[in-house]
Amino acid sequence: MSNHRIRYRRLTLYCGIAAAFVLVAAPLYLLVKYSISDPDSINTGGAPIPLWPYSPTLRTFAYLFSDSEFYGVVLNSLCIALATVMLSLSLGVPASYVLGRYRLPGRKIFTLGLISIRLFPDISSVIPVTEFFIRLGAQNTYWGIILAHTLLALPYVIFIGISAFESIPNDLEEQATVMGASRAQAFVRILLPLAGPGLVAAAIYAFLLSWDEFIFAYFLLGLGRISTLTLYLNQKMSFAPPQNILATISVCLSIPVVLFAVLLQKYMTAGITSGSVK
Amino acid sequence: MPRSIVQGVISHTMKIWPLFPAAIYLLGFLIIVTVYLLGMSFTVVDGGAVSASLAPAARLLALPEFRQALVNTVMFVVVGTPLELVVGLWLALMMYQSFRFRGMMRSMLIIPLAIPALVTATLLFILFDYPGGHINHLLMGRYWFFPAVVDAPVNWRGSMAFSLGISLLGKVWRDMPISMLILLAGLNAIDPELFDAAKTMGAGLRKRLRHVILPLILPSVSAVVLLRSIEMWKEFIFPFVLAGQHDLLGTLIESLYNNWGNSHEAAAVALVLVVCIIVSALVLFRVLEGLRRLLVYA
Repeated sequence: MSNHRIRYRRLTLYCGIAAAFVLVAAPLYLLVKYSISDPDSINTGGAPIPLWPYSPTLRTFAYLFSDSEFYGVVLNSLCIALATVMLSLSLGVPASYVLGRYRLPGRKIFTLGLISIRLFPDISSVIPVTEFFIRLGAQNTYWGIILAHTLLALPYVIFIGISAFESIPNDLEEQATVMGASRAQAFVRILLPLAGPGLVAAAIYAFLLSWDEFIFAYFLLGLGRISTLTLYLNQKMSFAPPQNILATISVCLSIPVVLFAVLLQKYMTAGITSGSVK
Repeated sequence: MPRSIVQGVISHTMKIWPLFPAAIYLLGFLIIVTVYLLGMSFTVVDGGAVSASLAPAARLLALPEFRQALVNTVMFVVVGTPLELVVGLWLALMMYQSFRFRGMMRSMLIIPLAIPALVTATLLFILFDYPGGHINHLLMGRYWFFPAVVDAPVNWRGSMAFSLGISLLGKVWRDMPISMLILLAGLNAIDPELFDAAKTMGAGLRKRLRHVILPLILPSVSAVVLLRSIEMWKEFIFPFVLAGQHDLLGTLIESLYNNWGNSHEAAAVALVLVVCIIVSALVLFRVLEGLRRLLVYA
């Protein structure tokens, strides 16, 4: 290939990369820009909205963090997400241990059956779950939303857990039992520490799923006394508040998710691509 | 019953009991969701008495909002799925090549997936504001780097085509990393020796693309098309925030349930959505399988 063509291809590649960079970075930049905008940079009175605020300020963050209602919803989201992690791990880890360690007949079909609840769109399954919870008296309760979020997170925890337990060589467990350890001891002392990183990934996945979940929270909690961060953002949006408040809440909602996602990229990539490519 | 069988069952149960709580939980909910969905779709409540009826389905078919939402959702899937594939393919083909800072760029391209959908929708809500908003100012030529395209601000959320269009834009932006990662994994799985062999045997770029790359990445393309089309059917958050009165099936379920108080019709739409997803996935699967045969054996 001639030098000219190679150079031309290289140039096209770099232009493409620059375009992709702008495509991802521009919206993120604008979100952060709005969150630090002063009122004059938003209500410009007809002048073009500046690409950088006239006088950048953290006052919206300060305002939000001085609001006790905001603390309340952050605390709610945090508690619900942590409870979801605990419940989905305590149900999911033993199940994935059995499915990952034992070659049971019909194991694959059974696993598929377990995760098949996720084949229903959330917006379709939320109606039956809400109706059932109303009958149970679980609407507008913490335990109702925790049970619903666990329902969403548990299939992922089991799925990630199975691969974590499968990757541990059988010999290790056998050696432990030969040396006199019971099955429970081998599980706690040998398997659990080795499956640790995968299970931590599953826990964080469950946490994030609950943290930014909106559909079930909206139907089960609605405008009741319990609110989560996503509901709070949606509620603020319906009152048409200044855009910098919306952007600031959005930034607060996104920070933990982005941080964890960057840290856990390896597991996310594996989760997305596993099974899709042979 | 021989004692050995009983002992076998007991020892097996002892072995797999940790599975039971999760299995009961998930299968229990699966049964509840299925039974309630079917039950509510095919019953009416009259003065406290529940009776089997096709009335919710009949009322739904007569509802213009339902027909419009179905058409909108089909359009959303038909436009959105190929768009996600094209964007994913573009990004994957770029990331397949080696260049400086590739790792960093890859991490960067995954960020949209990490941003909660509600946040992306909120951002679009702000950017496409009417009459102000960055996009209107941009298109009206208020910034030095962009020419004027429109004379007056556009009411994006007021029009059906525009509001569903920006919902689609948000959806594709947020989900493009998934398509990219699946296609990239497919590209990386191709043995580079195959390229070299085809090249040695005199195949040009077009022939290599047609006879080597395309048949080999078709499984990942199929995965993207199938998974993304399902996601397009299911979409709720973007149109909920951005499209207001212009419903997709997902947002119609919400309106029927919360605003109109028709839980049985809402369940019927939810069931229609499930059926649409199954039928579309089966049709797409057959089409993609036919395409694979055509590419591999032709």
